[in-house]
Amino acid sequence: MKKRIRNHERKMPLTELEQFLTGRIWLREFMPFAQEEVDSAIAAGKIGVKKGITENKECTRCLERSPQKIISFNCAKCQSVCYYCRHCLKMGRVSSCTELIYWADPSPKPKTPHSFIWNGLLTNAQQRASDEVLESLSCNQSHLVYAVCGAGKTELLFPPLAKALEKGQRICIAAPRTDVVLELSPRIKAVFPDSVIHTLYGGSPAETGFAQIVIATTHQLYRFENAFDAIIVDEADAFPYSFDPSLEGAVIKAKKRESPIVYVSATPSDRLLKEIPNQSKIFGRFHGHPLPVPQFRPLWNYRKIFSKNKIPKSLTRWVNDRLAKKEPFLVFLPTVELIEQAIPLFKKLDARIEKVHASDPERKEKVLKLREGKISGVLTSTILERGITIPNVQAAVVGADEAVFDSAALIQIAGRVGRSSDFPAGEIVFFHNGIVRQMDKAKRQILFYNKEGFR
Amino acid sequence: MNCYLCERELPQLPSWRGLFLNDIQEVICGRCKNGFMKISGTVCPICGLPNEGLCRDCRYWETTEYAGLLQSGTSLYYYNEAMKDFLHQYKFLQDIVLSEVFARQLRDELGKTKAAIVPIPMHPDKLEERTFSQIDCMLEAAGLRYSQYLTKSEQVQGKKTKKERMSAPDLFHWNGKNVPRKILLVDDLYTTGTTLRHAAKELKKAGAEEISFLALIRS
Ligand SMILES: [Zn+2]
Ligand SMILES: [Zn+2]
Ligand SMILES: [Zn+2]
Ligand SMILES: [Zn+2]
Repeated sequence: MKKRIRNHERKMPLTELEQFLTGRIWLREFMPFAQEEVDSAIAAGKIGVKKGITENKECTRCLERSPQKIISFNCAKCQSVCYYCRHCLKMGRVSSCTELIYWADPSPKPKTPHSFIWNGLLTNAQQRASDEVLESLSCNQSHLVYAVCGAGKTELLFPPLAKALEKGQRICIAAPRTDVVLELSPRIKAVFPDSVIHTLYGGSPAETGFAQIVIATTHQLYRFENAFDAIIVDEADAFPYSFDPSLEGAVIKAKKRESPIVYVSATPSDRLLKEIPNQSKIFGRFHGHPLPVPQFRPLWNYRKIFSKNKIPKSLTRWVNDRLAKKEPFLVFLPTVELIEQAIPLFKKLDARIEKVHASDPERKEKVLKLREGKISGVLTSTILERGITIPNVQAAVVGADEAVFDSAALIQIAGRVGRSSDFPAGEIVFFHNGIVRQMDKAKRQILFYNKEGFR
Repeated sequence: MNCYLCERELPQLPSWRGLFLNDIQEVICGRCKNGFMKISGTVCPICGLPNEGLCRDCRYWETTEYAGLLQSGTSLYYYNEAMKDFLHQYKFLQDIVLSEVFARQLRDELGKTKAAIVPIPMHPDKLEERTFSQIDCMLEAAGLRYSQYLTKSEQVQGKKTKKERMSAPDLFHWNGKNVPRKILLVDDLYTTGTTLRHAAKELKKAGAEEISFLALIRS
């Protein structure tokens, strides 16, 4: 289905400076424009200026206030006691004597035509949720989409997004991790090929023009203020969004005051479930098959066994099974140290087994290679618990009893398995050194989804 | 408190340790600490580079007008990835709290010296741009007193060849204050040794007799 979204006719195009700065809050000294151009726009009142750290010692960009993060020092630039923010330091240091600038005089945005190319196929459950999100957005109310892994939550957002573009709105889709942003971006671009869509994450290439849709990591929202007519927060429960309250502040700062937030999550927190009145629930997968249910298998003293440079027997058996059946697999381990210790041992089973962790620059490529069958399996930290889809992938958690694997993480990991309609089943094994509550909770929850999704 | 470098939570120290006034607090975790590699074994007696006897650079210097200016020197760490990341966060991102990271090591190395500690100065323009002097701040974090007898005369241009840098015009000028007999220069990164030798030459002209140095890193 191709639909041309008509908008009112074109007004004067915006200057590049206005395109860039509208809805943003940016360090004056790091502006990618000639200094004179910025200075004269400030003199003309087009650009507003704010102090980097307020008198109350709050960071104007990330809203950090804790004295552990707002640090005082004797500043050689302003020749007095100055404060800087450690919390958002990596985006360029904000201090009392640096200035943040924003576009103070927005002109009416020229309406541009958008296309909406999409097969339009949704399951009944997706369709209902999609209509409900549209309804909430049309009356500026926040909404929670509680959908299991593989429910097809991105697709159901397409119609509401198309509607927003039609109205000339500016939308942000925020996700906690770069992996998720990189996975979403091409899918959104394919559906809205004529729209300006920016993809922002730490170290992302520069984008130009005025973006109608911004797909960004939650961190990047620090650099926006009063910008969006709606924000969709994908994986709303995921690290670091759930652990870092300032990111929640960033979402609120980045949207316009009256704008709604759409939270999307497979494992929403109790707080979200309680606080967001409009909710849609999808407990069945789009392909109509149930979620794979985790099996519990003991793996006594696995740390000790690994430290003797051995892989515990039942884990070896599991991996050999996958290799024999040529099934791609993920083995989740609790710590990076254990991954380092284990990888040479796994390489002896098959040299095409690789490792991946949070600071691995080749993470993207390795996941791609696993999908293409160029590597047989991956040892990983929780970093790959979400956002990745590999047909026929099988998963094992080693040390499912350890604290890093809370029930939400375990549900997400199980959610990697059986996503494609060609291979809707698959193995998810929790190897443990004693069953703990979080494991039980995850399994119970998955059984509940399967019951609810098939009513 | 969290590690200044990786943000992981640091283990709580028993509270009685805070009672020792000159105990410097650890600000990074064991893992990050292990990322830095200490220089040990046989080193060049002048610059501290791991080497049997004088290293190639120092042998060259000893054939120039800078011969004999530096009595001896110590370099504490290798310039590895962890150290590059540290310098990036400290100097480029201007994360001033990182001045505390090597405070203990600096105090252990310099706490008992009889010489006057002299940090390599920054050019005033550069100082204003960075908003702090990275070496002064490290010495302060280590609770060390220091004095300054030099001013930086011109900004060193970045991408010069090694040879051009070794033969740069005078980098420092004496500031007119009475120079003590024994001087210990402190710099963060020893690359060719040009900076330290220029500083030593100017100090010697101004009356210093014995000049040694400490560099945090030998690249
Ligand atoms: Zn900040
Ligand atoms: Zn200042
Ligand atoms: Zn650390
Ligand atoms: Zn040497």
